[in-house]
Amino acid sequence: MNTAAFVLLAGMLCAYVILDGYDLGVGTLHLFIARTDQERAASFATIGPFWSGNEVVLIAAAGTLFAFFPQAYAASFSGFYLPFMVALWLLMVRGLSIELRGHFRDALWRGFWDAGFGISSFLLTLLMGVTIGNLLRGLPMGPHGYFSGTFTFLLNPYALGVGIFSVIALALHGAAFVRWRVSADSELGARAHNAIVVLWPITLVAYAGITAATMIVHPVHISALWLAPCLGVASLIAARFARSPALCLTATSVFLLALMVSAAGTLYPYLLPSFPIGSGGLDIAAASTPASLPSAFVAIAIGLGAVLLYATLAARRVLSRKV
Amino acid sequence: MDSAVIADRIQFAFTVMFHYLFPIGTMGLAPFIAWYTVKGTRQNDEAAIRTARFWAKIFTINFAVGVVTGIPMEFQFGTNWANFSSVAGSAVGQPLALEGVYAFFLESIFLGIFIYGRSHVSKGFYAFSAVAVWAGAWISGFFIVATDAWMQHPVGYAMLANGKIALTSLPALLLSPFAWWQFAHVMTGALLTGAFIVAGLGAYYLLGNRQTAFGVPFVRAGVIVGAIASLIAIFPTGDRNSVNVTRYQPAKLAGMEGLFHSKRGAPIAIFGMPDVKHQKLIDPVYVPDALSFLAYGNFRANVKGLAEYPADERPPVDLTYYAYHVMVGLGTIFVAIMLTAALLLSLGRLPRARWMLWILMLAMPFPYIANEAGWMVTEVGRQPWIVYGLIRTADAASPNVAAGETVFTTIGFAGMYFIIGLLFMILILRQIALGPEAPERAE
Repeated sequence: MNTAAFVLLAGMLCAYVILDGYDLGVGTLHLFIARTDQERAASFATIGPFWSGNEVVLIAAAGTLFAFFPQAYAASFSGFYLPFMVALWLLMVRGLSIELRGHFRDALWRGFWDAGFGISSFLLTLLMGVTIGNLLRGLPMGPHGYFSGTFTFLLNPYALGVGIFSVIALALHGAAFVRWRVSADSELGARAHNAIVVLWPITLVAYAGITAATMIVHPVHISALWLAPCLGVASLIAARFARSPALCLTATSVFLLALMVSAAGTLYPYLLPSFPIGSGGLDIAAASTPASLPSAFVAIAIGLGAVLLYATLAARRVLSRKV
Repeated sequence: MDSAVIADRIQFAFTVMFHYLFPIGTMGLAPFIAWYTVKGTRQNDEAAIRTARFWAKIFTINFAVGVVTGIPMEFQFGTNWANFSSVAGSAVGQPLALEGVYAFFLESIFLGIFIYGRSHVSKGFYAFSAVAVWAGAWISGFFIVATDAWMQHPVGYAMLANGKIALTSLPALLLSPFAWWQFAHVMTGALLTGAFIVAGLGAYYLLGNRQTAFGVPFVRAGVIVGAIASLIAIFPTGDRNSVNVTRYQPAKLAGMEGLFHSKRGAPIAIFGMPDVKHQKLIDPVYVPDALSFLAYGNFRANVKGLAEYPADERPPVDLTYYAYHVMVGLGTIFVAIMLTAALLLSLGRLPRARWMLWILMLAMPFPYIANEAGWMVTEVGRQPWIVYGLIRTADAASPNVAAGETVFTTIGFAGMYFIIGLLFMILILRQIALGPEAPERAE
């Protein structure tokens, strides 16, 4: 039961990374690939109908973590107090930027929100990456079972590396998304393609480096997990040489899936391994309340099934036309 | 109380009260949008569709601000109230997770279709998406109220040996009558606010001789819905909530009414200022025996006063008392306003009764105050408990977050929310100035 809950939660986070990942990637990239006001507006329009739905996945995942593993929710959210508060403010700036940009046809107004969208997307991605890096590296636990490290502890080279890698990987994903959403002969599409060409080798090198560093920081104990990096490399190669924009986006999505599977598989069965790795931590059994878990699992799984159904239905209707 | 807990409480109170201003708008306007869309689609009525799309713009701005200010609420359970989350998380975490899964997706996906997808979908599907947005907004409200209701009146749980609370029955939490009456009252409050917004804006258009085709229908729709909602807010929903409080949270009832000492045939104080030091009301104006009747249906029933409860189980009297009296006082005034307006409407004289239009326009902010005051009664009156009778607020905060950190982030939120509030006002006022007559821009 605990494992099933862990898998469902990991699946939700994975969906979040793939879905909101392209939003974040578009945000980080659009200052570079979209030059004119029209192109900027077009890059906002590519994600306009989707971003709030994608962000809901994060809210739902946080709620699911709370329902399944309350102890982990309490320990991590209070431990990451300041970083999470900063993340909240960045989420606000980002949401406002996307929603408010179009309200006035004024160069200063739009320029401000363009920058707000770009900077907040970049910093959010970095922050999320640093958080994942620190989870993988382990966290010092205080006497009450909550994380009790300092801010400087969180800003270590490994976690920062994961953060920068996240920015690069999501930018690649975002470029693939823009190229898919805009018409093929547009200049924006061409620049998105260039971005893929430039980002691709950087992603590949960074991926190799981060994978190696992760194996040092957090030795893997599930032997089948070597399949995930293989899938990652394969999908990355597929993304570069894919014939159509749709295939390329599929490939970058699979790449992110492989990354998340690696991360989740490395952590399992811990939610918050303690630092250094090997000294225990908060695992799925200790973090959950067995008496409450089945009903929460069933209710959330049914709801997610329904969402999957109508979200696919709705997305197909909106996606039938290019920006 | 520990200064960290006080800082956490101030932060939560501030952020939740600011946040709630926006869900009132979405929950209150969603039914209007759905109704106008369905009507417009069925009767091929372009004016109704235009009205729906106008209110949808107001709705979208409210929704966007509601989402960005709402995420901090969910996060704070973990960041500031880690002990509470750890002990009671298996109970309160479930409805919060279900809100995300069952309501947010519905609301955001179908709002996306409603705003962006009109040319992509059939008319029927378009109308359906408006109804789905309404459903999403209200289901979301339900899960939040169900979470709060469980904290007011915990049901379906077991205390475990390790000191944690396990939710043994999710249906008991979701079907709790306490939750459903609270939900009915909260939704009525939101609907009433929506009605005042619609009527007030119509009055503004009529008084300023703008958007003339829409002024009269706005006022009519707002007054009809408002008259009904203002009555339902008092009876049965307000009344049933009082009865539930009487039954399950008697100390809160005593605080609401400023009843310091038990009394057979207890009165209701219409005015009066609580003097906690001397345990009495200053300059009260009483309706004799009324409290006994409202609480127990018997004019001679004994109502327990605050003195009956240990000092560490009494709610803060001042805030609970004033908030309750503000809510009830405003609720009574709303009935008077809406029934008078409805009478004028039925006589066909409302569009020319400028004094009434002025009242309707100026009344717009007051339902917001009444809604916020109502929540203050609920939450402040629950103190000193975070989960009534089970967990004290003083024991619920994060032990690893210092007061200074929370003060710092509270100042951050204050600055952020000041800017958000300013932007919100600019955008809303601009939409009002453009009005439903403005041609739609292609985005």
